[in-house]
Amino acid sequence: MTTENAMLSPPEAELAGIIVETLNLEIPASEIDPEMALYGEGLGLDSIDMLEISLVVSQRYGVKLQADDESNADIFRSLRSLNQYIQTRRVG
Amino acid sequence: MNEKILAQEWLDRPERGSPKLLRFGIWLALRIGRRAARLFLYPVCLYFLVFSPAAICWSREYLTRVLGRGAKSADIFRHFLTFAGCLLDRVYLLNEQCEQFDIVVHGEEALLQVEAEGGGCVLFGAHFGSFEVPRALGRARQRQISLLMYEENAKKIRAALSAINPLLATEVIGLGRADSLILVAERLAAGHFIGVLADRNFDSRDMVRCEFLGKAAAFPRGPFRVAMLLQRPVILMAGIYRGGNRYEVFFERLAMPPERKGSEAWLDAAMRTYVSRLEHYCREAPYNWFNFYDFWA
Repeated sequence: MTTENAMLSPPEAELAGIIVETLNLEIPASEIDPEMALYGEGLGLDSIDMLEISLVVSQRYGVKLQADDESNADIFRSLRSLNQYIQTRRVG
Repeated sequence: MNEKILAQEWLDRPERGSPKLLRFGIWLALRIGRRAARLFLYPVCLYFLVFSPAAICWSREYLTRVLGRGAKSADIFRHFLTFAGCLLDRVYLLNEQCEQFDIVVHGEEALLQVEAEGGGCVLFGAHFGSFEVPRALGRARQRQISLLMYEENAKKIRAALSAINPLLATEVIGLGRADSLILVAERLAAGHFIGVLADRNFDSRDMVRCEFLGKAAAFPRGPFRVAMLLQRPVILMAGIYRGGNRYEVFFERLAMPPERKGSEAWLDAAMRTYVSRLEHYCREAPYNWFNFYDFWA
């Protein structure tokens, strides 16, 4: 992985901060690898953490993450993919 | 063959179960009827009493704790037989044959209250008695009930269900996917009830040791966290087998989460209430406990 890929863009950094704060993660937001898996391996989040993320994303961005979305595996793949999804859907 | 298939399921060793054989077992059970099928349970349980030292060992440990005396072989046989009987009855319940059973319900007002408040709730069950009885009742009352379980088990159950009642396959939600609980949240918002067996691991390492029948055992905090995050009441559910064709179903409202998020004290208190009520029902109907492994590990 190149250094460039591992850098958080400003919206990614904001989302990382929200996730770290919501889940009380020990890792600092700035140290999250945007390509690292969120669920299971990688950051090691469980499905309750993912539920918390979906609740906070809906609250802060007005974007609803839906269970029947077939692309969920892609959306939840990493911080980067989740952020991409949010940025294309967010209102205002 | 039939008894062997059922027997494999009882031990909760999914890797040994074959979907084809399971389907055949279900077909046979439906074909010959409950009374005749129950006769098969005796030789099967006897088989396990001889050839399944692990199941016997864990049954004995549990029974000794709950009965407060040394468990005899007859007690263990009765334990196996209760388990086998509940498993067999699931076939008939899923096949919409509720009229075969004499079912008494207690505490249904807890569910009516949830419905009146709007939305559904998580029903906190355990590997204790029959979840299928309250579920069948729910269907008869037009309630939407889903069961949350591990995806691997869910796949097997769905395959078996499709042989009995294909309409019910969607009622099983698989845990272990990133969006499993997002689906739960959606269904709760739509007024569904979600059954969770809250006595085993719940897609998380978040286990808390609670005193249960005189010794600390690990219980998952996950289901309680879900209730707290989604601001839904904690309702206990137990479907107890009483012998013959009789079941008794209990619902109890145990707790309502505080609005302030992240209250550890509430989680702790709700879990302890659940565990102590589970203990109460175990003492009251000891043979309904269906965890045949080292529960206090």
